[in-house]
Amino acid sequence: MDIHVTVNGRPEVWQAAPGESALELIRRLGYTSVKRGCSQGDCGACTILVDGQAMRACLLVAAQLEGRAVTTAEGLGSLDRPHPLQRAFVDAGAVQCGFCTPGMLLASQALLVETPRPDATAVREALDGNLCRCTGYKKIVEAVLLAAERMA
Amino acid sequence: MIPNAKTCLYPKDPPQAVSLLQEHGKRALILAGGTTAALSHDPEVEVLIDISRMGCDAIEPQGGGWRVGCNVRLQRIASHAGLAGLWGGVLSQAAAAVGSRPIRNAVTLGGNLVQIFRWSDTPVALLAMGARLELLGPRGPRSVGADEFYARHPRQVLEPAELLVAVQAASPVGKAGGAFIKYARTAVDLAVADAAACLRVEGGRCVEARLAIGATRALPWRASEAEALLTGQALTPARLGEAAALARKACKPVGDARTDKAYRERMVEVVARRALERAVANLQERA
Repeated sequence: MDIHVTVNGRPEVWQAAPGESALELIRRLGYTSVKRGCSQGDCGACTILVDGQAMRACLLVAAQLEGRAVTTAEGLGSLDRPHPLQRAFVDAGAVQCGFCTPGMLLASQALLVETPRPDATAVREALDGNLCRCTGYKKIVEAVLLAAERMA
Repeated sequence: MIPNAKTCLYPKDPPQAVSLLQEHGKRALILAGGTTAALSHDPEVEVLIDISRMGCDAIEPQGGGWRVGCNVRLQRIASHAGLAGLWGGVLSQAAAAVGSRPIRNAVTLGGNLVQIFRWSDTPVALLAMGARLELLGPRGPRSVGADEFYARHPRQVLEPAELLVAVQAASPVGKAGGAFIKYARTAVDLAVADAAACLRVEGGRCVEARLAIGATRALPWRASEAEALLTGQALTPARLGEAAALARKACKPVGDARTDKAYRERMVEVVARRALERAVANLQERA
């Protein structure tokens, strides 16, 4: 079926089997910032924004994206023009292997849209679905708070 | 992934959803939040019916209580100011206990209530509140109590092509409280045991007590011996403890990869006691 989506602000029509995994579809189309981690809803590496809400792509099927706005890390910023969250993740040392980072960024972005000046508890709550096996989370939380401060 | 799905239909309202379900019968699979469907692999399914665009996404006051549409996502319930005041916020607490934030952003109340697993959290709160479920089927609307809805698997209670469209819970009159307690190995894990308690008090004595237990068997259940022990009595700490012990005695839990029967039994007593204690602690007078 044809799936009409707005991806990172740009309208696209995707060819997909309605019941296929949204994660597999998105990656096949080249949005490889959406990471395939556990594929069963535990790790958060495949977090995307659907109409602004952080969701796990592995727990959605393609047909559910019809008419929706999807944001991936590709839509946040680029190497030349990083998003303030991306800049803050670098500055705070919140990235080690980097596999969880796109999901962390998108979950953080959803939080900052809703709550521009969160406290550390709110950050931890918003990131409760994103696992990181490297950093111990401390620097990730600091990065989100730093980005919030800079964006204020 | 649903390997043989050929199409997806998007009903605009509940009656249209019901007629699509009638038309496609067993070949159809309902998508709401999709979290369960995405991990299913049923080769028989040919038609997906995405009910998330048919409305039913309001949380609204109704007749002194609240009505919550089946498509409301759990995160909204967890953070809703009005529901936080309904029976001590027992439903909000149960919704907040489900998975992690991105899961709660996707999972709908209807999905969590119908697509039930042993560890499902929100059905326990419904039993404790004495909520009612609004259904719509080919023969029209009907309303069933939570006790009836969970006496068997909800799929056996729902008739073919019948949908859960909303949940209704009346606000208690007078002095009442409630609480939901989940015990799990981590903040995002499935429950080892959970309990929801709703209590109403008049003149220092309990006049209404419902204690529901989840995660121990296929379906959540009411600890009726514990409820009987509390009804008509002063809610002293000792009596709450005795009631929790009765819940433990009645629970006959299953063991699984998370924990064995003996530990789960002990944890039932713990969550039951904590739910009762917290319900007593948040007893509030309401006109």
